[in-house]
Amino acid sequence: MTVNPKMPRAKATRAKKRGITLHDKYGWLFISLSVITLGVFMLYPIINSLYMSTIASRGMIQQYVGLGNYRRLFGDTVFLQALKNTLLFFGVQVPVMLILALIISSLLNDKSIKFRGIFRTGIFLPAVTSLVTYALLFRMMFSLDGLINTALLATGIIREPIPWLMEPFWARVTVMIALTWRWTGYNMIFYLSGMQNIPDELYEAARIDGANKLLQFTRITVPLIKPIILFTAITSTIGTLQLFDEPMSFSSGGVTAATIGPGNSLLTLSVYIYNLCFKYMPNFGYAATVAYVIVILVAVFTIIQFKLAGDRR
Amino acid sequence: MKRLLSMLLVVCVLLSTGATIITAANESKITVWAWDPNFNIPVMDEAKARYNKIHPNVEIEIVEMAKADVEQKLNTVLASGMREGLPDIVLIEDYNAQKYLQAYPGAFADLTNEINHQNFAAYKTELMTLQGRIYGVPFDSGVSALFYRTDILAEAGYQASDLNNITWDQFIQIGKTVKEKTGTAMLGFDPADGGLIRIMIQSAGEWYFDENGVPHIVNNEAIKEAMVTFKKIVDADIIKRTSGWNEWVASFNRGESAAVITGCWIIGSIKAEESQAGKWAAAPTPRLNSPSSVNYTNLGGSSWYVTENSPGKDLAVDFLKKTFAADEDFYQKILVAQGAVGTYLPSLDGSAYTEPDPFFGGQKVFSDLAAWIEKIPPVNYGLFTYEADSAVMVVMPDYLAERIDIDGALRRAEAQLKNQIFF
Repeated sequence: MTVNPKMPRAKATRAKKRGITLHDKYGWLFISLSVITLGVFMLYPIINSLYMSTIASRGMIQQYVGLGNYRRLFGDTVFLQALKNTLLFFGVQVPVMLILALIISSLLNDKSIKFRGIFRTGIFLPAVTSLVTYALLFRMMFSLDGLINTALLATGIIREPIPWLMEPFWARVTVMIALTWRWTGYNMIFYLSGMQNIPDELYEAARIDGANKLLQFTRITVPLIKPIILFTAITSTIGTLQLFDEPMSFSSGGVTAATIGPGNSLLTLSVYIYNLCFKYMPNFGYAATVAYVIVILVAVFTIIQFKLAGDRR
Repeated sequence: MKRLLSMLLVVCVLLSTGATIITAANESKITVWAWDPNFNIPVMDEAKARYNKIHPNVEIEIVEMAKADVEQKLNTVLASGMREGLPDIVLIEDYNAQKYLQAYPGAFADLTNEINHQNFAAYKTELMTLQGRIYGVPFDSGVSALFYRTDILAEAGYQASDLNNITWDQFIQIGKTVKEKTGTAMLGFDPADGGLIRIMIQSAGEWYFDENGVPHIVNNEAIKEAMVTFKKIVDADIIKRTSGWNEWVASFNRGESAAVITGCWIIGSIKAEESQAGKWAAAPTPRLNSPSSVNYTNLGGSSWYVTENSPGKDLAVDFLKKTFAADEDFYQKILVAQGAVGTYLPSLDGSAYTEPDPFFGGQKVFSDLAAWIEKIPPVNYGLFTYEADSAVMVVMPDYLAERIDIDGALRRAEAQLKNQIFF
């Protein structure tokens, strides 16, 4: 190497004034690979898909429609249903999951509980299982004469088996249960690590002041891990708005079935994008338009969450 | 250092381009894309072995992918306008044929003068015809049948003749008796599967579209009757409800349902349950009440297509010509080995077809199926079968729950379908 990497800063600043130094050249050289890769594989597709969303196509036959694709969205009943389903998953499943994760993590943060490690591992484990395996098992468990129905019938909670994956309402419930099972532990880990950073003195002081557990939870724990709650809320929002795997594997036959779940009850925006590209008449332009809807939704919800959390950073 | 790096780069680039040139120049190689390692792939392997006996120098590479992956790759490469990366021969599902042919004009080779399509079932040739030109080589048939358990039906008091050429109403009636007398459901039934609707409407020579490709659902008597029949089947409580392929196959493998109505490709799955050997029989598919409906119809099936710009195009055509479009013995072999019912008419009276099948109680089941193939009403599946299938099945839960009447359901389905079709 011709340049001493430990070149004093003052010298470097002086050198910069004279123009590009060797230092700069190497800097650019070293980052060029990632910049070019990012440009080709991130920036270009993003810009190009924006252009694509102004085009309607039947495979190779293309037609420029300007904002036509965006206007189409409002009259497209399939899109509206996909949007409704996606928002439903987001609106119901995300809060339930996050609250559950909060409760579990605060329970498991109690130092007096024995075998905490085992519980934590057990609850986190679903997040690392393979999608196909768990989808297959869930479908078996939730079939008409599967484990869940048999157990519920045996305990007398229900009289008729629940048609889990065969009716729109229950199909959505099943997928929400599956999602919650899979991702609660993942969020719990974040909360746990946050809670472990809260000093014990705070709780001790609160106890002395006569605050009960609930009050300690709402007044100390939640405010102090708020940034983490915000983080998990945003990642869960993005994950749910892009939901693809579960609807695909829980609907009968996935790609080959007529609908995604009974009456398209599991059709999400991402699955609709897939169908528009590969199952239906290939219309990549319209699919790009739907993709931008997801982008806008994610942006809007993230901004709302930032505002609600009152985080100025 | 820099020089060394750039030299390395240049060498890499040269090597990779060199490699592409070499592969492109190798004209005695054919690549085939297909799905299903238990069906299409071994069939292609057999064809490859037979062709290699005549032309040992031709290298045939069979690439196995999931069906969805084949469609994904094909769509992506074709839409990108690239000429590389495509196979020479590709398997396309019949329902999708017109979509590919029309969405990617010029992408597939015109085989009108290469293959004698007179030798194939009419309905198969019809679906691969565009403006009078024929673009593929028909492969397997999805001729459908009413497969039923003779022992369970006998227990309920029915003989083979009672199930021959019946209507759906009669079928439902029989189902009720079977359920009553034996407690067994008549059909394994996935409420999200539109296959039965397609079986019913093709039996009447109808489809979701008219001859001009315009959505034709609202005043389509066949679709109307099919949906009404679908509801009757559900309401009659003669079904074992399932979700997804595995549960559905399990319903008859476990003996929880007495009949299966679907394409003949299901025979492999039926025979997988060896304990039921000798207890099955096949009858023609039930028909609708409408006078245009017959007892012969189809579900699924696929065909081979050659890509127009592939370097191995001529070789690929020659390969298909000498195997799938000529070799009668080949069709006997794949029928025995894979249960693949071809649509090559000269092969349909071959030895394998006329052999009595002990699994089906000695019935010459393939010979029966072959006879039905020729009577399947040809329909043009058009460009949007999957959109239409989805549009009809989306309203189904509401229609079954009587939240919407039949005419309303048809209107809603047609409105959705029209919305899915742009320009």
